[in-house]
Amino acid sequence: MPRAVWPVSRGRPIIEVVLSVAPGGRPVPRQLIADTGAGTLPSGIELLLDEQDCLTCGGTPMQPIVLGGAYVGSYPTYAIQVGIPALAFNQPVIVVGLPTPPTGFDGIACFRFLNRFIYGNFGKSTEFGLEL
Amino acid sequence: MPMSKTVQELNRELADKLAEDGRNNPHHVYAGKFVGIANGQVVVVADNLNEMVSRLRQVEPNPTRTFGVEVGRDYSVVEEIWKVS
Repeated sequence: MPRAVWPVSRGRPIIEVVLSVAPGGRPVPRQLIADTGAGTLPSGIELLLDEQDCLTCGGTPMQPIVLGGAYVGSYPTYAIQVGIPALAFNQPVIVVGLPTPPTGFDGIACFRFLNRFIYGNFGKSTEFGLEL
Repeated sequence: MPMSKTVQELNRELADKLAEDGRNNPHHVYAGKFVGIANGQVVVVADNLNEMVSRLRQVEPNPTRTFGVEVGRDYSVVEEIWKVS
């Protein structure tokens, strides 16, 4: 089964996704905190990214969503094409547009997104990975 | 004299109405569907997000003139994001 792994960054598990910038489709890598505590399985949201990324990638605007905790209030959402080349994953997912992503990272991968895959450290404490 | 509404406002108003109708009526004709709106009109009704985005882009290539809504989803539910310090 294909697996993608990334070294832990700043002590946190991360994943790297690739966004396609419209209109030429130039791939742009983004490092996201892998946070199983963000959102829930039934929630519609899968990623949180800088809203500027959502707009640059030509995301389709979707209904806004209400966040609590680290981010409070109503935030815009977008359907954005997201890829993980090592897993041959490339699909539109619902992304929350943030005014400011978490310091040192490009955004957050929520439980709903991580749960698409088998996730974990696969026996290496300094890595985090996804497997299909 | 009222100013005319922008395409984004028209799209958003229609999406809000569909979302509210879907919340109040589980048997709504679009319940459980991903509905794509372009230029103030419903142009796509799809079973999943992938299909909605793909077909919506064919109808209206400019994403700023489009909007999407999952009818039946309760968008007022607060999604908790833990603080990253």
